[in-house]
Amino acid sequence: MLDIKKIREDFPILNKKILNNKNLIYLDTAASAQKPKVVIDEINSFYSNNYANVSRGVHTLSVESTFKYEDARKKVQKFINADSEREIIFTKSATEGINLIANSFASKYINEGDEIILTVMEHHSNIIPWFLIRDRYKCKILFANIDSNGNIDQKHFESLISEKTKLVSITHLSNVFGTIVNQEIIKLCNKEDIPILLDGCQSAAHIPIDVKDLGCDYYVFSGHKLYAPTGVGVFYGKENLIEELPPYQGGGGMIADVSIDGATFTDLPAKFEAGTPPLVEAYGLGVAIDYVNELGMSEISEHEFRLTNYALDKMQELDFVDIHGANKNKHSIISFNIKNVHSHEVSSFLDVEGIAIRAGHHCCQPLMKHLSLNSTARLSFGMYNTEDEVDIFINALKKCRDFFTK
Amino acid sequence: MNDLIKELYQEIILDHGQSPRNFGECNPHNKSADGHNPLCGDNLKLTFYINNEDVIEDIKFTGEGCAISLASASLMTEKLKGKKIDVAEEIFSDFTNLVSGSSEDLKVLNEEDSLYALKGVGGFPMRVKCATMAWHAFKSALKS
Ligand SMILES: Cc1ncc(COP(=O)(O)O)c(C=O)c1O
Repeated sequence: MLDIKKIREDFPILNKKILNNKNLIYLDTAASAQKPKVVIDEINSFYSNNYANVSRGVHTLSVESTFKYEDARKKVQKFINADSEREIIFTKSATEGINLIANSFASKYINEGDEIILTVMEHHSNIIPWFLIRDRYKCKILFANIDSNGNIDQKHFESLISEKTKLVSITHLSNVFGTIVNQEIIKLCNKEDIPILLDGCQSAAHIPIDVKDLGCDYYVFSGHKLYAPTGVGVFYGKENLIEELPPYQGGGGMIADVSIDGATFTDLPAKFEAGTPPLVEAYGLGVAIDYVNELGMSEISEHEFRLTNYALDKMQELDFVDIHGANKNKHSIISFNIKNVHSHEVSSFLDVEGIAIRAGHHCCQPLMKHLSLNSTARLSFGMYNTEDEVDIFINALKKCRDFFTK
Repeated sequence: MNDLIKELYQEIILDHGQSPRNFGECNPHNKSADGHNPLCGDNLKLTFYINNEDVIEDIKFTGEGCAISLASASLMTEKLKGKKIDVAEEIFSDFTNLVSGSSEDLKVLNEEDSLYALKGVGGFPMRVKCATMAWHAFKSALKS
């Protein structure tokens, strides 16, 4: 069992008072996680003591920086159980990771009439890059339906697969429903020999990840949802696959040799890391991973799962609350509406109670349209949340309903 | 109950949010525009008729949104109906000043105005866009 009280002491922001001197109750970790002091301090220390550009100079500071940067890569590799450090590419975000694979993959493998399969519950960052590819290569983007629980409709998904399918790209853990992708979907892709990209933005922060066990070919996530700084993300690709792919962006650090006639490119992973990387942020991600590992990803995951079910049970008792996709395959994220009250009102009302939740379309407009909703409210948990906070939240929901529907 | 919330959601706002006035489409109309709040997906369609004396003879809107955006649109249509365009434009700039927290140098709006009820939005910077969505649609319709 985690000592949540002790964990909370590690997060300076949890002492903050909101608006009318209310204690902060942060229920928006799915948008971004708060940062433990050790991450904040280590970033400071890196800039104060070791900072220089990486893989450029031979002087002491450059060596120290490079060492720290590459050490972070090893930590990420172990964290998601990849085979090799060569499979870990640092990006600025999950979004950039998806753009990377979309562009590199398409330039090599996508032709007119080819098909890429997504689902209707993808985040815009796993839709728009593919729309841009569609416009450029005249391929088709197909959307698999979901069922009322927020799981992929497997029959429909299967029916979309054909010899034209070149790639499947789906969210591993839905940022609206909190549902985790059924392993059968991945197995099916493996069986049909279709490369599959998992958007791990939410899953990397909430459940232990083993990319080999999962059977995905590509995986992306953002550091900032995993208690790390903003500005760093990870793109993972199986070595034999990404070795074949052309670079995504050009710049310093990714070349073997350049002349005025052209260039040859360097080996993995640098081939995909053009320009000065977010090296301090990557280091911060390594520190966050150490912090998470020390507590245990499984323990964090169990704590959040328990909390999610605790909140679900309480919310289901409220007849004025609609929960979207209420089922037990929900992890850390619950989307809901108060009947006849817009999610903005809910969010502003809770804000004044010190409670931070998200309101809106969650960058999932196709899903909102699919559900015939204009927006939803969403609470999401991190390792630092408690049952007491859920109780306060539930109470605030009641007050909110009374205020707006009196 | 807490004051900030009471200030944001005055009675008149809750009322107009729940039963917006001038809801529908203006027929005939010679100006129209769509408003969007890309942050949350709220949207509206504004239509109005300007006669040959430059007066807004009729103005209506449809759409979906939060109480703030609906109330603001509803109060806007009430306020602008029957106004000459140049006055309407003054009201527009007063209103945008009011909700973004600079209520000192308003030219035409005063505390007696129903629109003044939206002043509380200034305390919630992320909600300013809700309050101004209809107004920006009005401005862009004028240009069209
Ligand atoms: C499922 C999912 N995919 C992608 C993203 C995009 O992440 P980022 O903006 O950090 O690139 C998010 C973040 O909200 C997300 O929840």
